[in-house]
Amino acid sequence: MASTVSFTLTSRRRRRAGRFLATAGLVIGLLFILLPIFWLLETAFQKPRDAFTVPPHFIFLPTLENFRSLVHGQFAGSLLHSVILMTGSTAVALLLGVPAGYALSRSRFRGSRAITAWLIGAYITPALIYIVPLYVIYQQLGLTGSYLSMILYYETFQMPFTIFMTRGYFTDIPRSFDESAWIDGCSRWLAFRKVILPLALPGIATVAILDAIGAWGEYFGALIFSSPSTETAPVAIYQYVGLDVSNWSALAAAALFVVVPIMVLTAVAQRGLVRGITAGGLIG
Amino acid sequence: MARASSSDATRAATPADRGVTGQAAATLDGRPVPGRGGVAVLARIRRWLDRRFFVLAPLPGFVLVAAVTLVPIVLGIYLSFTNYQPIHPTYQWSGLVNYRGLVHDPQVHQAVKNTVIFAGFGLVIEMILGVGLALLLARPARGISVFRTLYVLPLMVAGIASAVAWRALLNTSSGWINYLFSVVGLPQPNWLASPHTAMPSVLLADVWSGAPTVAIIVLAGLLAMHKDPVEAARVDGATDWQIFLRITLPALRPVLAFAAVFRLVDLFRQIALFQVVTGGGPGLATTVLNFFVYQTTFVFGELGYGAALAVLLIVMMIIPLALFARLARRSA
Repeated sequence: MASTVSFTLTSRRRRRAGRFLATAGLVIGLLFILLPIFWLLETAFQKPRDAFTVPPHFIFLPTLENFRSLVHGQFAGSLLHSVILMTGSTAVALLLGVPAGYALSRSRFRGSRAITAWLIGAYITPALIYIVPLYVIYQQLGLTGSYLSMILYYETFQMPFTIFMTRGYFTDIPRSFDESAWIDGCSRWLAFRKVILPLALPGIATVAILDAIGAWGEYFGALIFSSPSTETAPVAIYQYVGLDVSNWSALAAAALFVVVPIMVLTAVAQRGLVRGITAGGLIG
Repeated sequence: MARASSSDATRAATPADRGVTGQAAATLDGRPVPGRGGVAVLARIRRWLDRRFFVLAPLPGFVLVAAVTLVPIVLGIYLSFTNYQPIHPTYQWSGLVNYRGLVHDPQVHQAVKNTVIFAGFGLVIEMILGVGLALLLARPARGISVFRTLYVLPLMVAGIASAVAWRALLNTSSGWINYLFSVVGLPQPNWLASPHTAMPSVLLADVWSGAPTVAIIVLAGLLAMHKDPVEAARVDGATDWQIFLRITLPALRPVLAFAAVFRLVDLFRQIALFQVVTGGGPGLATTVLNFFVYQTTFVFGELGYGAALAVLLIVMMIIPLALFARLARRSA
């Protein structure tokens, strides 16, 4: 009797210790995770001369000065370019990618697996593999610095992603839905537009958001292909690093301008996020 | 094929075929059907197109993917045999000169070595921390959803923003990391300027977003796992460690493999951190192959040589790519 009591006591104590250690681990990890985010916030809301001092000013009167000067300066233009490119490239990806995803989900021909493998391969290939030859193509065609050149580059990752992801969402919709629509007299096109597409819309919306996030945060291709009249916000941030490293406040504020919309979009797409990270539930 | 023709026959007598059925009918859109005459030809074309819907609908998408991915890759391989320079775009076939050059280029050797170090250490650290984190986040504790939400934050911070933040945090004289070190009484290293600490610094910044990425993938796998075997093992008196090794880990194997390959690909692709945080330096200490391709092509202007380096990068990535393909096939 006594031994069982002491056994349950130690096991309870051990479980409580385990729970404490788990929480402690999570909190310590969280401090590391929040460190750069705190830095961005602390620096962006600080007067430029107070930012980046030793010791850091953790307690201060927040100012919107940095954001205001960004909005009134060149950065506003960069934000606009980013919005245009994000919208344009995502529209192209959806318009061409969604029908392809649907067809791929419905066809069992021998090449469809090869096409899927090709899409995944295209998606995970490092951007530079495309950027180097695309640069030559654009140079020869006189496209360098245009929106078109950048949208075409964005499609190197948006199109494979869109086709692959929507294929997954369409696969979730049973074929019998198409077939009964056909029997009811719908053309293939009409069955797709009136029956299947509405059912897949939540999934497509998620893909659209993930596409938009990808284009909005894209940095390296935009750095190579953009001209001053198409320069995106991430590229503008990099120019600040090069030009004016002393003004960390402006830099942090600009970074927040890029980060906050992504957070908002991610909050909207929350449920699809994991599926997006795991590339369309590749692992089921 | 029989199924297609029978449904075609059904369709011929339906309202969907405008013009054929007369003006009384309406399309599914609810719009009235236009009259006969020239429209009949249009209807026939439409029907012809619709019968080929599953070939025609995906075509524009596939053509675009091919145009922006296959064409550049083929052209890139061709360019790797030339001496193309962006400044004066006249070029000559140079045969194997670029490839012979990269075999003997000590900078390339260094870049390949750095790539292996960065990808190898990054993968191991991110997998261990990510799996540990996922196990902690999978516990049904109070307030755990707050932790789950906060740990996703690094995935939402654009690469350029986190690169800027880490560059500032690791600044020798006024960065927060060295400030914390000084408060605790530790020596304050020259993080980004010393060849010994530059690579670990970039790794730290990559782990910051890589470990949570692994954690979220693994957490999804953990939460989807059946609870019964774990409960049964616990009833039979298995310790937590035994349960982890014998039940959780084997069940998670496909998820772990996916997360590992996914991270490996991303580690090979990392470039913003190198460009913004260290610029590949000091010297060549943090010049990985991906970054070296960029420098050679766009900073030094040797595009032909850069293309050859890009081919080398693909060759280096064939192993992770093949693993990815195998995973995809197994799940299919």
